[in-house]
Amino acid sequence: MEDFTNNSGQPGGQYPGQTQRTSGQTLGIAALVTAIVTFVIAVIPCVGLIAVIPGIIAVVLASVGLTQAARDDSSRAIPLAGLILGVVATLISISQIMVVGQLSDRFNKQWGGDIENVIKDVRKDVLDKLEEANVDISVENGDESVTIQIKEGREDRRRQLEELEESNTVSNDTLDAKE
Amino acid sequence: MTLSTRRSDAFLNLKRRQIFEPYICVNIALTVVLLFVFFYSALFSPEKDNYPVVCIHERLTGEPCASCGLSHAFSLILQGRISEAYRWNNNAMRVFIFFAAQLIMRIVFSVFYLRHPETVRQLIVYDIVVSSTIFLIAFMPFIKWILRFL
Repeated sequence: MEDFTNNSGQPGGQYPGQTQRTSGQTLGIAALVTAIVTFVIAVIPCVGLIAVIPGIIAVVLASVGLTQAARDDSSRAIPLAGLILGVVATLISISQIMVVGQLSDRFNKQWGGDIENVIKDVRKDVLDKLEEANVDISVENGDESVTIQIKEGREDRRRQLEELEESNTVSNDTLDAKE
Repeated sequence: MTLSTRRSDAFLNLKRRQIFEPYICVNIALTVVLLFVFFYSALFSPEKDNYPVVCIHERLTGEPCASCGLSHAFSLILQGRISEAYRWNNNAMRVFIFFAAQLIMRIVFSVFYLRHPETVRQLIVYDIVVSSTIFLIAFMPFIKWILRFL
């Protein structure tokens, strides 16, 4: 006849009259499974940061399970395993935050300066080209219109505009009136 | 009641009780999680690129991480397009093998435990050692990548 019992003659290592206490076991199993899954998620860089949440859940479940097991004097192995694994998984997951920080810092140092230099160069180029650009300024007042064509540099344009202002326009600036 | 009927009843009762043993419960839960991973990989296609999980690292830093392209690679491995999977992620195959091995191990170890409950301690120790070893082998590139920044 096939023997389905262990060496003690009872399934699960129980002796006659001895009742197996299972307080905290269910929570311990839940914590252990959550902790194992969290551990695997935590070492995957893409989603490692998310593992903090199940990690904390695993630690809480294991702590409650451990408390129940300690109170009823039942086996603490599973909740303890869940707690240790949950804490390690949470720590690994938290370390991912540091990885992101380091990575973004490195990114800023390596690429940030280059991007800034490129922006400066582009701005300088645009300003230089504007300096030598052919600009047409057209002023319309009813039927009359005046068009100023500027082909020289900035200083010449400024001088030309100032001459034009002095000869053809009356200043209505409120600041001038106050003075 | 005949002897054989009584024997089979006792066997069924014992099996029913063992189903709720912690080791079996953990194995069942992990099997469900592993099946979910494979289901996720099979459900979404690399052509449509409709994966709901995005790389948080890439979003935050703008730089791809060591595990980027893992979902695409898993889907491609399930479709048998191994060389394309390697192009998405170099480490995808070893991680896939880890998950597949774990799925097989959960089933085999559970059956073994139900048949030989007296070996539970040895079985758990063996399970922990083997699982930890293949985990380290499979995830070593990711662990190294994380450690580079610490």
